[in-house]
Amino acid sequence: MMFAALTARLWYLQVLATQGYVEQVNNASFRWLQVEPERGRILDSKGDPLVENRLTRVVTVQEQLLGDDPEAVLFRLAQHLDVPEQDIVERLQSKDYYDYQRVPVAIDVSEEDIFYIAEHSDEFPGVYWDEQTVRRYPRGPLAAHVLGQLGLIDRDEVDQPAFEDYGPNEEVGKTGLEKTYERFLHGVPGTNKIVVNPAGKLLDELGGRLPQPGDDVRLYLDSRLQAAVERRLQEGIERARSMPDEDTANDVANFVANAGAVVVLDPKTFGVEASASWPSFDPNWFVKGMTDRENRERITSPEAGGPLFDRVTQGTYAPGSTFKPFIALAAVRNDVTSLGAYTDCPSSWAYPLDPEHPFNNWSSYSRGPISIPTALEVSCDTVFYQWGAEFYDRWKADQLGTASEPLQRDLRGFGFGRDPGIDLPSRSSGFIPTADWKQKQHEADDKLFPYGWLPGDDVLMSIGQGYVLTSPLQVAAAYASLVNGGRLCEPRLAERIQNAEGRPVSKPGPQRCEDLPYTQQELGVIQEGLRQVVQGDEGTAASAFAGFPFARVPIMGKTGTAERPGFTTVEGQTQGQDTSWFAAIVGPSNDQHVIVAMVEQAGHGSTTAAPIVRTIIEDMYDLGDTGAPVIEATD
Amino acid sequence: MDLIAGRVWADERRPIRHLDPVLLVTTMLLAAAGLFLVYSATHQSLDALKLDPAQFVKKQFTAFVLGFVLLILVAAFDYRFYKVYAGFIYGAVVVALVIVRFTPLGSNPSGAQRWFTFGGFQLTPSEFAKIALILMIATVLSELRTAEPMLIDVLRVTMIAIVPIGLVFIQPDIGTTIVLVAILVGTLVVAGTRPRHLAVLAVTACVLLFGAFQLNVIKGYQLDRLVAFLDSGSDTQGANYNRNQAEIAIGAGGLLGQGYLHGKLTNLDFVPEQHTDFIFTALGEEFGFVGAACMLALFAILMWRAIRIAYLSKDAFGTFVASGIAAMFAIQMFVNIGMVIGIMPITGIPLPFVSYGGSSMLANFIAVGLLLNIHMRRFT
Repeated sequence: MMFAALTARLWYLQVLATQGYVEQVNNASFRWLQVEPERGRILDSKGDPLVENRLTRVVTVQEQLLGDDPEAVLFRLAQHLDVPEQDIVERLQSKDYYDYQRVPVAIDVSEEDIFYIAEHSDEFPGVYWDEQTVRRYPRGPLAAHVLGQLGLIDRDEVDQPAFEDYGPNEEVGKTGLEKTYERFLHGVPGTNKIVVNPAGKLLDELGGRLPQPGDDVRLYLDSRLQAAVERRLQEGIERARSMPDEDTANDVANFVANAGAVVVLDPKTFGVEASASWPSFDPNWFVKGMTDRENRERITSPEAGGPLFDRVTQGTYAPGSTFKPFIALAAVRNDVTSLGAYTDCPSSWAYPLDPEHPFNNWSSYSRGPISIPTALEVSCDTVFYQWGAEFYDRWKADQLGTASEPLQRDLRGFGFGRDPGIDLPSRSSGFIPTADWKQKQHEADDKLFPYGWLPGDDVLMSIGQGYVLTSPLQVAAAYASLVNGGRLCEPRLAERIQNAEGRPVSKPGPQRCEDLPYTQQELGVIQEGLRQVVQGDEGTAASAFAGFPFARVPIMGKTGTAERPGFTTVEGQTQGQDTSWFAAIVGPSNDQHVIVAMVEQAGHGSTTAAPIVRTIIEDMYDLGDTGAPVIEATD
Repeated sequence: MDLIAGRVWADERRPIRHLDPVLLVTTMLLAAAGLFLVYSATHQSLDALKLDPAQFVKKQFTAFVLGFVLLILVAAFDYRFYKVYAGFIYGAVVVALVIVRFTPLGSNPSGAQRWFTFGGFQLTPSEFAKIALILMIATVLSELRTAEPMLIDVLRVTMIAIVPIGLVFIQPDIGTTIVLVAILVGTLVVAGTRPRHLAVLAVTACVLLFGAFQLNVIKGYQLDRLVAFLDSGSDTQGANYNRNQAEIAIGAGGLLGQGYLHGKLTNLDFVPEQHTDFIFTALGEEFGFVGAACMLALFAILMWRAIRIAYLSKDAFGTFVASGIAAMFAIQMFVNIGMVIGIMPITGIPLPFVSYGGSSMLANFIAVGLLLNIHMRRFT
């Protein structure tokens, strides 16, 4: 009877009703599908990869299909994969994914673990596994800030024309170079008639159009130099933390030196040869996907110090005395002074109409009249105060004139207060204060700036203080224009786009350049001043470069020590420690490099930033140890 | 009696001469078919994962070899011997069932607790509970003084059976529970139990089941599957998904099938749990009605031999053991294939010798070993 029943049913299914089932099979299992291309790599200047791809096995979970007892399934999964259950739950709760999507909860899962899950699929409803291409960083955290991360495409992005080729589950560049050069890195998806199972997994390909892999982005960035820069920056920060802060009246005994940045720029191409920001992070954190807890510990906690923030392009600081070459050029251009003129350098100077409030030089030593190069060499604040005051008087006399703020105009000409245009999606313009800005602030809030634009605004701007803010990148680009004949370009990380065989296929995109209205003679005088800063007897960086073999590697530079307003910390109100700056132009005139170092809350330019640059130069030119800098606090 | 005649007589009565080759060959054919079907059902998806496509088959083959060794061992010692040890075997299995359900040694502390893990292998005690129960019931029934069991005997046997049945039921493993109940009923019928007594049992079982529903012992998914069976149009992606895909796969097989390794649904992971409970779909799709009918024929031979051995057995113990085994194979085959082709509800019962699963394979080989044992020693 049993056999009769079974046979009868089989006869019905397989002989009488078979046609309908055959059709169902043929319709269900084939689909036209888009095949995602392999993403292009990011290479350094020598063609070695900084970002490449690797295959990994991931376990994904579709929350809706976990069944009646989702906790039990997740518990088993966590136990089996030997990861904390909390991590899996947090990943599932990630806002990056929608409910119907499969959320990767574990990456780099072993073959054995996948096999176990496959074998006990009834114990793991809603749990899937997949092979995925993820980013690999062969150099680890090197240059982490510029590379950028991938992330799931946004819902509104999918509908944009730029993302026409993209599917809803696709990863796109979210930050850094990955975002800027998305259109080259992504490649062209193929279409394929494929065989899929009901879960949508690709099982067999029946042909179609093959995807075209993305192109590689090759950078100006030199890995070897980048590694040296990152190491030297960190060493310099550690050195600063061991130095007592004798200047400020706060209770912090040593420098806080909480962060710093170094950028190296080629003044001919404006290619970024190295760019380091500290504290830093490891891009692999994002490949694995971070849980809330890891995110708190590594990124958002006060102790972490904002590691994702790229201080080279996004951080803005008062530039201090590194601003002076540009003030001097503006003063000459606007006939505030002349190229060969000598200006008094007293230890203190007051605006004639306000003698009660004198502005001091950083040094208490009074000098007689000095030339522009000497004013740069000894970084005489009072010389620049006088020029700043002259700019103020002119504005005061002709407030409605078309070029009533020539100083601000010329500073903007050097790129300050403007979008630097580097090929990174997130970059800061810095800030150059104007009378108009003050007025608008006052209109918005009565309590702000009741006295309007004041002499002190121009006076302080002339030494890179007051409301002026610049990023280290902007400083580097402006210094590059001093030695390349007065040409300012948008800095570039990417040198070219090339295919997998290394052949250039296209330009990364247009690079805007401007010729600045300064003569070779004017620039030469400034360069002479910058040479004396480092190599002259009284130069503010002479101590930092004591014993350096200038005959082998010529160096120009300018120190900067920028006061920083007080700020609130976890412990309470604190007097900000000075920002330490050093901008250098290194190498023979046919092969120069601009190096700018900046360390927050680290005192004088000569004691922290300049020694960092010195060690970087030693590494760049394989000079070995050229001797220790003499620690002497100058401007 | 002269010496030579005596030796010939003794030789003729040596158990090995009375092996049941038909049963042995049938078993081997079923197990071999199982290996091929497991490969067909798993190789594509393993390959897609860049894993060894024969990974499941290798494990299954290991179980097959181990099972054969066990078969020889079980057949080697006189089966009457097992009567003495039936109590111990039964006790050991009950203890194992308690441990697997109530202690952390069972593999899954928060879900179904069905197996122990040793290295890469899992041991599922409920599979061996079938054998233990057969031996225990046969022992008790064969010791009866009366020609047919009285009500008190029926109750005694039922109480013995209810312990493993209850433990398996709360694991929860409805499939094995059904098999254990079938063994109990089958053996009781063969032992000559009056229909009246069986009716009492049935009523009691209904009351108990009703109580189980009331106390929520039955899990939600089991209810889902039952409801899905009763209303098959209800929910294609949910509980009914398995059975629909299975039906499509088998239906698409047609008369002659798509050819080995050419079943589309089989290759493409359409049928979940295909290498275990739904292995019959691979056969149906790739070998069609002809292949499916051949396998049914093999099972028919298996059962015929088992029932024949129950008749031929020299003693009551052998008869009861053989009929218990016949009941076990029959119910498993019928419920498994029935569920795959949509005439039975979905319960997790493997197809003997064919479905992927080591413990089930070992238990089934032990059962055949017992059958051979009884057959071999029907004269001694």
